[in-house]
Amino acid sequence: MSTIIRTQGLTKVYGANGTAVHALRGIDFAVEKGEFVALIGPSGSGKSTLMAILGCLDAPTAGTYELDGHAVHGLSGGELARIRNGKIGFVFQSYNLLPKASILRNVELPMLYAGLGRRERRERALALLEKVGIADKADKLPAALSGGQKQRVAVARALANEPALLLADEPTGALDSRTGAEVLDLFRELHAQGHTLLLVTHDPSIAAQAERRVEIRDGKVVMGGVAEDPTSSAQPGAHPAAHHIGVGR
Amino acid sequence: MTSSGAFRERLLEAWMEIRENLGRASLQALGVLLGVASVLGGFSISDSQRQRAEQLYVRLGGLDKLNVQPRATVRDGQATALQQANLGLRDEDATDGDALRPDAIQGVSSQKNARSRVVSGFADQDRPVTGIGGDFIPANGYAVEAGRGFSASELEAGAPVAILGTEAAATFFPSGSPLGQVLRIGEVPVTVIGTFQERVFRFREDQRNIFRWRNRIIAVPANLVQRRMNGDAYRRVDRITFRIPDLKVMAAFSKQLQDVVTANHRLQDDFRLDDVQARIRRQNSQGDVYDLIFLLSGVLALVGGGIVNVNIQMASLKERVREVGVKMALGASGREIFKGFMTEALLLTALGALAGLVLGVGFSWTITRSLGVPLAMTPASFIWAYVMASLSGFLFALYPAWKASRLSPMEALRYE
Ligand SMILES: Nc1ncnc2c1ncn2[C@@H]1O[C@H](COP(=O)(O)OP(=O)(O)O)[C@@H](O)[C@H]1O
Ligand SMILES: [Mg+2]
Repeated sequence: MSTIIRTQGLTKVYGANGTAVHALRGIDFAVEKGEFVALIGPSGSGKSTLMAILGCLDAPTAGTYELDGHAVHGLSGGELARIRNGKIGFVFQSYNLLPKASILRNVELPMLYAGLGRRERRERALALLEKVGIADKADKLPAALSGGQKQRVAVARALANEPALLLADEPTGALDSRTGAEVLDLFRELHAQGHTLLLVTHDPSIAAQAERRVEIRDGKVVMGGVAEDPTSSAQPGAHPAAHHIGVGR
Repeated sequence: MTSSGAFRERLLEAWMEIRENLGRASLQALGVLLGVASVLGGFSISDSQRQRAEQLYVRLGGLDKLNVQPRATVRDGQATALQQANLGLRDEDATDGDALRPDAIQGVSSQKNARSRVVSGFADQDRPVTGIGGDFIPANGYAVEAGRGFSASELEAGAPVAILGTEAAATFFPSGSPLGQVLRIGEVPVTVIGTFQERVFRFREDQRNIFRWRNRIIAVPANLVQRRMNGDAYRRVDRITFRIPDLKVMAAFSKQLQDVVTANHRLQDDFRLDDVQARIRRQNSQGDVYDLIFLLSGVLALVGGGIVNVNIQMASLKERVREVGVKMALGASGREIFKGFMTEALLLTALGALAGLVLGVGFSWTITRSLGVPLAMTPASFIWAYVMASLSGFLFALYPAWKASRLSPMEALRYE
């Protein structure tokens, strides 16, 4: 069992001095490979900020972050781009599909940045669309799809480069409860296949379906920062030796 | 993936972007289009004018001829013995000159003029008479239309024969053919053996014939003038002309000729050669001012277009911030975003420039046509126009592309 995410004292301050907003105030947090973690907390508590840092979209003000065993803090923009491309799949509340590109091209895009050849990209993108159940829409533009379908495309796109980590920030937030539940089923399916999922939600019924719930308030973890471990109550990050014993669940 | 594959992808992406935003794209391309059209049009109009001017020059007997003419050395008082004994410009000067560079000289002619009373059955006028020798007729752009030219023996012997320009023929023999008729030049009866083709040259079609005076020519052998009309003991001539098409050769030749003729003339500076260097300078600077003006207006159009483009691009960047954010989230590096924007701008520039070349041709054609000048376009103008447009397109694309590439992925994604 390996650790995908490990952060220590992660801090994020927006702005400076007088107007500074302390979005994160020392996050110690870990996610093991294959886990399905729900990140919950009230609006403004810093969930999106944490997701952005975990997804290498933003850099922390202080603290350390190891992704899949490699230190990420302090890397250059180009290196972060490569990590986002290869190790992370994003699913956003607002889908964030490129409106002018076809569904197929949307899914191909991460592979394009990874330098995959045309034929391989196409085959893989079609397979992924098949997997999320909308292969027949490959040539359509995003505008022609319903919200649920768009989010499936986003999931297919997130999976394009076989990422180590899937990050979803309120993926069902813009969907009605029925399609939301369908998308959630898709996530559970992915989890069952071994994907590591970190999902932000403020909906307790969705959070209830995750393996583990992590709650943050005012930029601090107030519950479940690391996986529950029957042999140790210590936090792995805080106590390396204890964590070592805990390995092998 | 190969870099050419990546380039093709970017090109495709750029093309999609352009196609999706045709209005904005055309507006951006318009600046380039007008710039290219004005650079190309400017160059072409100036080239056309220059070509026309050169044609005029050559046909007036300008560029390809090196003239040697007598110059008065004695302005006041008495001539010195040496000056008096000096022979002046003679046929020998022509012969010696010709011997210098027979390979480069396409023709040598001499001229001995007279002014005389010319009388026929129809007219009685005081007229210049041109005594000609050597290759005068072809070298000066004349051609015999009816009858014949002078034979070598007639030129040598100074036979009493004449060839008339169209105006002279019409004046002295208004009815019937002048061939075989007799004209009295001074005291000498001369037989007309030929007429010249009419000489016509207009700078623009609606202008009058600049060569009209050439049709007034009454040509006789130079030796006839020398012997029976206006001669002197030294057999002086009024002009010797060497025809040398290559200006560089002419420049070198004129230096040698200067020495030869000076020696012939016992070091007396009593002759004058055309200034070939001045001619070269003039030819090189023909239309330079216009080129500069047109170039400047083209550059201004391109700069104006470029600034408009930066504005449009920056405004459209606002619309596209989110798109950039998404691409970055999917793993596009700042460098990739930069290349994408640059590709788009350069593709747009290339398309605009191509359209501009077409418009420029049309523009030049219209203007030169309205000026009545034949259109002359050189490959260099096309290349210049294109290179300048590409350069300005490139330079003005840099800032927006750089701005886009420097967006923080996080903020770009949050952007509403
Ligand atoms: N770019 C930013 N500049 C300034 N403050 C920000 C920025 N992004 C987020 N914040 C602030 O940081 C805090 C955490 O925001 P966020 O992470 O979006 O919370 P959540 O996703 O839990 O609602 C909020 O107070 C928010 O106003
Ligand atoms: Mg949020």
